[in-house]
Amino acid sequence: MLTRRQFIQTAAATTAAAQMSPKRIALVVSNYRFLSPGQQLGDRFLVGYPLDGAWHMPDMKVVSVYIDQHAEGDLSAERSAQFGFQVVPTVADAVRSVDAVLIAAEPGSDLFEKCVKVFEQAGRAVPVFYYHNLSTTFDKAKTMVESSRRLRFPLPAGSTLPATFRLPDLELPLGCHIEDALMVGLADFDALEALQCMVERRGHGETGVRAVQLIEGGQVWGRCSRELLTAALSRSDTPLGLTVKDGRTQDLVASGELRKLVPKPVAYCVEYRDGLQATALLLNGAVQDSTFAARVRGTPEIQSTQFLLPPQPNGTDSARLIQKVERMFATRTAPDPVERTLLVSGILESCLRSKAQNGARLQTPHLAVAYRAKG
Amino acid sequence: MRPKLAAVVTVYRKYSHAQHIVDRFLDGYGWNSAHHHPAMDLVSLYVDQVGADDLSRERAARHPEMKIYPTIAEALTFGAGKLQVDGVVVVGEHGDYPKTEKGQVQYPRFRFFEEITKVYRDGGRSVPMFNDKHLSWNWNWARQMYDVSREMKFAYMAGSSLPVTWRIPSVEMPLGSRISEALCACYGGVDSYDFHGLEAIQCMVERRRSGETGVKWLQAYRGERFWDALREGVWPKPLMDAALCRSHTLTPARAGFTDVFPSVEDMRRLVPDPVAYRYEHNDGLKCTLLLMSGLIRDFNFAAYVDGRREPWSTQMYLPMPDGRTTLANFFSPLVNNMEPMYLTGKPTYPVERTLLTTGLTAAGVDSLYAGQKRIDTPHLAIVYNAPRESTFWRT
Repeated sequence: MLTRRQFIQTAAATTAAAQMSPKRIALVVSNYRFLSPGQQLGDRFLVGYPLDGAWHMPDMKVVSVYIDQHAEGDLSAERSAQFGFQVVPTVADAVRSVDAVLIAAEPGSDLFEKCVKVFEQAGRAVPVFYYHNLSTTFDKAKTMVESSRRLRFPLPAGSTLPATFRLPDLELPLGCHIEDALMVGLADFDALEALQCMVERRGHGETGVRAVQLIEGGQVWGRCSRELLTAALSRSDTPLGLTVKDGRTQDLVASGELRKLVPKPVAYCVEYRDGLQATALLLNGAVQDSTFAARVRGTPEIQSTQFLLPPQPNGTDSARLIQKVERMFATRTAPDPVERTLLVSGILESCLRSKAQNGARLQTPHLAVAYRAKG
Repeated sequence: MRPKLAAVVTVYRKYSHAQHIVDRFLDGYGWNSAHHHPAMDLVSLYVDQVGADDLSRERAARHPEMKIYPTIAEALTFGAGKLQVDGVVVVGEHGDYPKTEKGQVQYPRFRFFEEITKVYRDGGRSVPMFNDKHLSWNWNWARQMYDVSREMKFAYMAGSSLPVTWRIPSVEMPLGSRISEALCACYGGVDSYDFHGLEAIQCMVERRRSGETGVKWLQAYRGERFWDALREGVWPKPLMDAALCRSHTLTPARAGFTDVFPSVEDMRRLVPDPVAYRYEHNDGLKCTLLLMSGLIRDFNFAAYVDGRREPWSTQMYLPMPDGRTTLANFFSPLVNNMEPMYLTGKPTYPVERTLLTTGLTAAGVDSLYAGQKRIDTPHLAIVYNAPRESTFWRT
């Protein structure tokens, strides 16, 4: 094992030598099937992506790809032939001599640990972008973040929602006082992460989470603000039920249709250490998009927006994400604090534990994750 | 006093423009973090064609304050012989109407207008009117509609959702910009979505330094001649590429890929019936509308502004209920821009914009019908100034 000093010296020397030529990228992905995260994110380094009204080709070269689970329809061999990278049999082969790594793995995989092992052995660590949730457990996610700190490589993570277009283009001011916040989403991690990227801008920064509770069924309706729910849903372009039937607009909350459409709502209730209480709701059956609302002190109107997920197959939200990743690969500076994803990993894990305990409120002293949002 | 409105529409079925617009007056719509109900009452409705899929009867049953009348005159007078409403909403889009020999659907917007203004005349009172989309497929009628609105001095608004919907990114053309070239890459057919693309261009270029000066000629290109024109540089390819780079719906040009930029060869393969309208304004500004069905399903604008080499571009975003959404919420900013007119008697933006785009749509059809010949358009010397305030959706 290298000492920390030896490690840093080796890393500095190698980095200086590699600064001139295009960055060499490794893709470490669970698979490279059509519409998989590996394919959609990886391809952007191969064929470019739309950026600010131009087609942008990263000045980076994918040199190696590791596929964790070869499956029917995998496109990596085809891409390898076309773009000249190697599909390699181990993670070590993929990451040993590259400048940056993109990981798009299944939850619970050990691909990241395998990368870290290579970094340790080589005495050189490179930036890693970890797509989506770091881990299904907070402890493991925390170990991942600690590894990145110990070996001094940036490890941003997360999904496309924080990076995507917002309608309207709402960004809460840094330092604002959020009194109440609500996210209506489609999947638990994504909803919690979108919520977190908004509320982390409050006060003196993120302070962590004191307790969580996962509530299901009818009692959900009593737990969230009617005004915030109306505000979030006012941003939806996909109400179901009567809108699908005859095209009409709906005030889903006031009409009572929401309760009819969602027999089993799920609320992920988050109590932050500074007193903010925020909720992520899954309202399957009512809407099919991701919307947010918050009450901010000093602003009379509720602030709300939709996190736009543009249609597939383009999925241009991932172009927005890759823009950040590319910049991070080039500068070794994380676009957003990895603590956001770490905290969300922990909130989600504890919420699922609350669910297993019939919706008990669980104290989460381990989630005292403090950080500051980027400007 | 809450204004009373009458709606005069062609058909009222799911996802017809009438359903999108009238429903927003009846049922409200999501706006600014609330479910907004316009501060006015839509109290009477005339539907020109009532089919098996009609929804107007269901709406009237659910909103008893709104009565359906068998004629336009009765919808405006409640059968009492005199104008009773404070505003009229005209939606002459969709429905089964014959086509002209040039392929234009003869939506009865002019007939609606004549019947409405007859009631205005008979009652000696004119009230604000909104006309969805272009004024008429027939330029002479459109011009007459405009002239009559001026003679009778009522507030008149018209047009598409494109000028008022979300923009991604959310940007406005600075008032007084110098624009040398502008372009919209979009999709759809002639005498249909071409109008929307023309409105997308016009709401931007009308903000240029000279103000609007009108258009002196237009030439359409279709099929093989479109590709010839692209190769010959009739419009700037970099501007077209910039617009396409704002799209969220590029058909992948290569199998197995999800988002790749198409080569011209790819475009030829993907777009079986491309159409371009190329036209020049009286101050020299040149504009191009591109209908590229098969390649994209959105509306993307690009322009050369203030002498900069880099194109200025944005997407006019329509949350389209063609599988992408369930609600055509781009009608919300359209209705939201109508509401002040019914409350104050002042149009939110100039109807001259739509008079011009109406004429451009007809000129495009005429050029295609004349074998893609260049058409001089001295009748489109329409001069106006853009409103100072932005009216697109950004809150």
